[in-house]
Amino acid sequence: MNGSAGAFKRFRKTFQAGDVIFSEYEPGDNFYLIQVGRVQIVKIFGDLEKTIAILNPGEIFGEMAILEEAPRSATAIAMDQVTALEFNQENFDILMQGNPQVALTLLKLFAMRIHDQKRKFQILTLDDVEAKVADVFLMLAEHEPVDTTEVETMQFNTTVDDVAHWAGISPEKCRQVINHFINQRRVELFPEKIVVRNINDFARFVKSRRRKQD
Amino acid sequence: MSPKAMQYKANSIIFFKGDISDKIFILKTGQVSLNYTDIETGQEIHDLIKTGEFFGVRSALGRYAREETAQVLTDSVAVAFTVPEFEQLALQNTRIIIKMLRIYSNMLRRIHKQVQNLIFSEEQIKPEEGLYRIGEYYLKNKRYSQALYVYQRYLTYYPSGRYASDVNQKIQIAEQYLQKYGQGKGPSVVPGEEGAAQAVPKPNEDRQTQEMSEVAKQFYNAVSLLSQQKYQEALVQFRKIVAENQDAEYTAKSQYEMGRSLYYLKQHDASIQAFSSMIQKYPKHPDLREALYYVGNCYADKGDAEKAKGFYNKILSLTEDEDAVSRKVRKALRDLGGGGQ
Repeated sequence: MNGSAGAFKRFRKTFQAGDVIFSEYEPGDNFYLIQVGRVQIVKIFGDLEKTIAILNPGEIFGEMAILEEAPRSATAIAMDQVTALEFNQENFDILMQGNPQVALTLLKLFAMRIHDQKRKFQILTLDDVEAKVADVFLMLAEHEPVDTTEVETMQFNTTVDDVAHWAGISPEKCRQVINHFINQRRVELFPEKIVVRNINDFARFVKSRRRKQD
Repeated sequence: MSPKAMQYKANSIIFFKGDISDKIFILKTGQVSLNYTDIETGQEIHDLIKTGEFFGVRSALGRYAREETAQVLTDSVAVAFTVPEFEQLALQNTRIIIKMLRIYSNMLRRIHKQVQNLIFSEEQIKPEEGLYRIGEYYLKNKRYSQALYVYQRYLTYYPSGRYASDVNQKIQIAEQYLQKYGQGKGPSVVPGEEGAAQAVPKPNEDRQTQEMSEVAKQFYNAVSLLSQQKYQEALVQFRKIVAENQDAEYTAKSQYEMGRSLYYLKQHDASIQAFSSMIQKYPKHPDLREALYYVGNCYADKGDAEKAKGFYNKILSLTEDEDAVSRKVRKALRDLGGGGQ
């Protein structure tokens, strides 16, 4: 074992399979880098637990803890016996200086999070609730490696509750809007996915609504 | 390939908003402005890049479209890095990353706050409510160890919260079921419904505004210790509450919990004594049957099956109702090899 690994030992935490590392809504002031084992990130929607991600060694989670007083947005559960480095305000600089690769990973994560939040902000500033929902699909489409000038129909592994969360509206309201889109034959709803018939049609729709607002 | 110094003429564009590219730049000489519309105010912003400053980093690292247009104001030289080249440079110069991390975390805080301000309060679940609901979900799905974690966190953050007493009961249920039936097994505990659990009181809306008394807080902290299996520490707390006797309700409750703590510490005689004095003092204690059950367990553990059976049968004679206690008692009787209808 080299010197730096030894120095980080005291920040190392071990969790048994099934252990909750942190729970959604819990205030959090630390985040983790997985060294051994896998971590399941889940969110509970009503009566359903949905897996958002399964993370492997080398990955970071809970990094939004840098937001003051913000509750955790998801629950992290150890899938195996997990060893993780625990970061907080106090040890942040030491760990980052001794671990440039981790710092870089975190930098990339922050870059993505800033973008996600900005995108969410844009969605929320739309007045029209239909436009909000349509814009959530556009945002999801931006995460897909497809060229929307060539592809029109897109399917998203998402749920009404998820879309509602992003659009900042209640699930009931979101269901109404999506039903309206279904009646217009713009959207098809399946248990585990939502299909948008023509993503470019949504892009035009959102653009026109945004223009009207400005 | 290595980073390339590029010459740009005044009024040219290095990249346009909406471009997708993996190039990161550092300005060597000249003047470059980043132009974008402020998402909050809708204002057109022109940010001047200082020489020696990086730009185009976030969109390249995050792999999304450029959010700004980089316009050259005077003849300039900028060095263009690919993402791997930038990474190599940064890894040898951690200071750069740490500085950027600080800037990014501030940006993230700011934008996150703006987003939160836009979400109407009715669409946001209060963290206390949310945490409670997560605990309920896991308990309902018989994932006792997860439920225990969440409930214990609830008590840590909201020791006098509106669900505190409910959560305390649920912790006991989850512990019992985990021990008795194991993870994923056991009768269902539908929150709020009568059933396996002894009637779990619905949180009282009126009560939430009232401050919980100091002694109540002490009590719930001690219960939290107990559920973390810190029996000795819990015992000390319960003893203190009983000794100080400030609030009859919590003295009675603590008397019962003292007996439980001692039972888990395997101090069987002391546990029997604690429960006996509780029963003498509070013949109508709401946890009377539970107390008798623990006394029975103490005798069973001590190897006195006859006395254990006596207590178990006494519990069954107290009520006709079939509930968690009577089920546990019947099982205990079966384990001892006799009786228990």
